[in-house]
Amino acid sequence: MLVAARSRRRLWPTRGFDVGEVWGLAALWVGLALLATLVSIWLRIATALSEIAVGTIAQLLIGVLVGTAALGADQPWVTFLAGTGAILLTFLAGAELDPEVFRRKWKEATAVGLISFFVPFLGCAAAARYLLGWDPMASWLAGIAMSTTSVAVVYAVMLEFGFNVTDYGKTVLAACFITDLGTVVALGLIFAPFTYKTLVFAAANAVMFIALPRVTPRFFRRFGGRPSEPEAKFLLLGLFGMGALAVWADSEPVLPAYLMGMVLAGTVGKDHVLIRRLRTLTFGLLTPFYFIRAGSFVSVPVLIAAPGAFLLMLVVKVTAKIAGVYPVTKAFKAPNKEAMYTTLLMSTGLTFGTISALFGLSHEVIDQAQYSALVAAVIASAVLPTLIANAFFMPRHLLRKAHGAEASTPAPAEEMK
Amino acid sequence: MFQRILLAYDGSEPAQKAYGVAADLARKYGAELFVLTVARPPEFAEDVETEAIIENSRDYHERLLVPLRERAAKDGLRARFEVAIGHPAEQIIYGADSAQADLIVVGHRGKTLFQRLLLGSISKQVIQYANCPVLVVR
Repeated sequence: MLVAARSRRRLWPTRGFDVGEVWGLAALWVGLALLATLVSIWLRIATALSEIAVGTIAQLLIGVLVGTAALGADQPWVTFLAGTGAILLTFLAGAELDPEVFRRKWKEATAVGLISFFVPFLGCAAAARYLLGWDPMASWLAGIAMSTTSVAVVYAVMLEFGFNVTDYGKTVLAACFITDLGTVVALGLIFAPFTYKTLVFAAANAVMFIALPRVTPRFFRRFGGRPSEPEAKFLLLGLFGMGALAVWADSEPVLPAYLMGMVLAGTVGKDHVLIRRLRTLTFGLLTPFYFIRAGSFVSVPVLIAAPGAFLLMLVVKVTAKIAGVYPVTKAFKAPNKEAMYTTLLMSTGLTFGTISALFGLSHEVIDQAQYSALVAAVIASAVLPTLIANAFFMPRHLLRKAHGAEASTPAPAEEMK
Repeated sequence: MFQRILLAYDGSEPAQKAYGVAADLARKYGAELFVLTVARPPEFAEDVETEAIIENSRDYHERLLVPLRERAAKDGLRARFEVAIGHPAEQIIYGADSAQADLIVVGHRGKTLFQRLLLGSISKQVIQYANCPVLVVR
């Protein structure tokens, strides 16, 4: 027996590595993720929002009861899973683009999208710099975090009355992609020192832009449709490879992930079965680590003690979005209340807002107090439109009817000049 | 009296009762029954997840209508079925206006305080803004 015991190889290396602790921590994180899911089902809110809230509360309680490091948000494996979640989420967001709509409406969409990005970006950056006294890099980061918009939220609104098939809806949706593209490009380039590495990274992105739409469908046709999931492995190889190159170039992995999603939107994006499998991996395991981790860095005591920064960012973001987007909705002759509702909805942006803020915290561009203010503003900008809309509820198609347009058909399509 | 009846259906027990009442009225008046179920995106939404939920929700609501289609066929009713996406009260009123319904039938489902704050009372909103009579079945 002694000889057998000595010859038995250890399954896990034990030097400086407590396996029990890892599994215990993993159980805690997945338990928190499950709790967040149940909360989101009960309250009918996005799981991402409940995960951020659970992360914040868990860190507060565990910090008080056990110690601030007990949640393990900085453990390498937690950071890896969270980072992979952010990359996949960004890829899937890019893959939602409808290339056909974009090709037809790219001029109008680009104009609207750039306005929708630049007005809140510059407005919030200026507010952070000159009203809150943040340093220049932190101010730029605030502008980026506040410039985002949510494609799917706007898409859901457009679906309600069939506006997603009108010129108005298509332009607005394509514009949302441009806004988010502005966010990820700004995130990837503003904080990266411009060296030969940046040129190599840009060249690699260009090669990806040209080669991937040609190579991917061929690979999937030849090797896809098997239980071993070669498609998922192929995509993860691309995402991890470009992510490694991005980090080497001091950029951000979500930039190539979003670009990859956009260039593959016409192929991978149309494969609903593959997208669903990727969503299972993303929502089932990875994004809970990302959003709970993001929530765990929010300091509630700081927010309560000094809510001014968060309130200012929220007001400036919503005001800037209104200034940028409201004229567009009015140009399509939407009634005032509906135009305001659409504009407020375009102020939401949970995914890229938290990604930007967490990037800033991880790279020490912002401190925890600034991070807390930005994340709180991002969340509030997602909550506010719904609360306002439900508080002052009136069927929007009746507004359109009262305004003189036909209630049962989408608004007449008008080309933007 | 009633030529088109819109039934707002969500698969709940009150909604099943509401179907019974709507089907009875449709038979008595020879009316067409328009069954509408509304898939609602989550509030305070997130980007990628919202798209996934809309797709999932649409599939779920399509499946919800399958037993009702069979029941309506067995009852010999003229019925059509639709899944809409959006705010439930909004879509019910919009559906009724689009279908030129003479009557809306909804089940009444009690909500928690938080849900009432967040969603409002759907049947109250329908009653307030509908352009035709509304029958709430308890």
